[in-house]
Amino acid sequence: MSNGGGESGKKECEQRTKGRFGGGEEFGRAIAKISVAQICENAGFQSFQSSALETLADIAIRYIRNLGQNANYYANLAGRAESNVVDVFQGLEDLGLSQGFLGLSDVNRCPIGSGLVREISQNVNLEEEVPFLFNVPRFPVVKETKLAPNFLQVGENSPNGHIPHWLPKFPDPHLYVSSPVWNPRPLGVPVDKTDLTKEQKKVEWPLMNLQHQFACNGSAPPLFVDPGDATTTKGAAQSNPFLSAPLRFGEKEVTPLFHPAKLESHARNHVLEEKVAPVIDKAKSALDSEDSRNKIVLNSRPSVQFKLGISKKLLTSAMGLSSQRKSVEKTACWFESDDKKDEKKRKKEQILKGPMDKPQELDHL
Amino acid sequence: MNQNQQVNEGSRGRQDDDAALSEFLASLMDYTPTIPDELVEHYIAKSGFQCPDVRLIRLVAVATQKFISEVASDALQHCKARQSAVIKDKRDKQQKDKRLVLTMEDLSKALHEKFHSPAMIGAQSPHAMVDFGENDAIGDRNERLDVKGW
Repeated sequence: MSNGGGESGKKECEQRTKGRFGGGEEFGRAIAKISVAQICENAGFQSFQSSALETLADIAIRYIRNLGQNANYYANLAGRAESNVVDVFQGLEDLGLSQGFLGLSDVNRCPIGSGLVREISQNVNLEEEVPFLFNVPRFPVVKETKLAPNFLQVGENSPNGHIPHWLPKFPDPHLYVSSPVWNPRPLGVPVDKTDLTKEQKKVEWPLMNLQHQFACNGSAPPLFVDPGDATTTKGAAQSNPFLSAPLRFGEKEVTPLFHPAKLESHARNHVLEEKVAPVIDKAKSALDSEDSRNKIVLNSRPSVQFKLGISKKLLTSAMGLSSQRKSVEKTACWFESDDKKDEKKRKKEQILKGPMDKPQELDHL
Repeated sequence: MNQNQQVNEGSRGRQDDDAALSEFLASLMDYTPTIPDELVEHYIAKSGFQCPDVRLIRLVAVATQKFISEVASDALQHCKARQSAVIKDKRDKQQKDKRLVLTMEDLSKALHEKFHSPAMIGAQSPHAMVDFGENDAIGDRNERLDVKGW
């Protein structure tokens, strides 16, 4: 049976190897590939097919593992936990060199007495020494497992004193205390957004704390603190001023806000703020919706001032004047013809002069 | 009498063997095998082999190196045989590239020879049997490596 043809077969093979062996296996295989390549180079090869090299490296690894297994088996058979030289030679025999060696047929012999030792020693003496190219560190690197902190480490007193201090400490209350559940409001009811964010925060805090706990393995203080919990609030405030609970209304004196509607009396110079301030508020509250952004863009277009070339008008121009001028010009362009140009010009001048005489007409802006 | 003689011969043989072994182990420390010690240690530790002695690890490394070099030399012979065969057929054209490349074909032939020789058939132990056929991760697409015996 084949392993599945072509590339799909190769992928299966790779997945199987990854599943069978653990992490750190890739490093070992890479080192084995390099050493096998060195051996082959010593034998006389000048280059390798990558698949052939990988195969040979895999065979070398299997050989090492099988030899270890056999040696361990013979050691256990003899009632020992650690293998010795005799076990290794017995294992080598089992793996069997294809050529065989002297004394294999003799049943009552010691494994060392065979020609195997002579073969290997000859091999060592005759072959020139080809040391491995790189310095290989001890692997796999064992990470120190970080245990949960015990009472003594954290500095807490064990409750009631009946629990020894070297046992791990209890988990923080926010992990097992029930937190407020998100309460969706019915549709159609006008929603006060500040209330919504407060509720969201209440629900999120314990979850964020839990995440943080997992990340720091329980040793760090909680990041987010429920303002209702007075004791932890103080602790959090001491550690990080930016994370302290927000001040309640009336706790601190703040300068009063200017309501944007009051600016209507100063229409000429503050038309810009009138238009832009509510727009900015809208932008803050509706960050995600792109429609509102588009609306903002559309609304802010009239606020752009264009120089239209009539210098006298510029001196006295307000926001509304420029926009009106533009709209007048646009309509003039649509209906313009050579014959009626003079008439249109006259009309324009009339309209432009008009607002200067009657300032109250601008209120509609 | 015969038995005594045999025992005497046996004991003398064993003494020689022990001497040879101790010499060999001493020489192992001078020789640095191509396969690094850390690699060998990692893989034999995976199979349960516990030994604080460095010489045994070197012994395993040397044995593996011997095995791999044998396979490589067999594959080299196959490769050279193929090249010489090609040159014999087409002498008029340019000589084939003299570059010696380890290919899957040569490798599989060499491994077949190694594990299907008559000497191997007798020396099979149950815990060393490995069937490369379906479970193997290195299965060749064209040829199946049917390796039994270790």
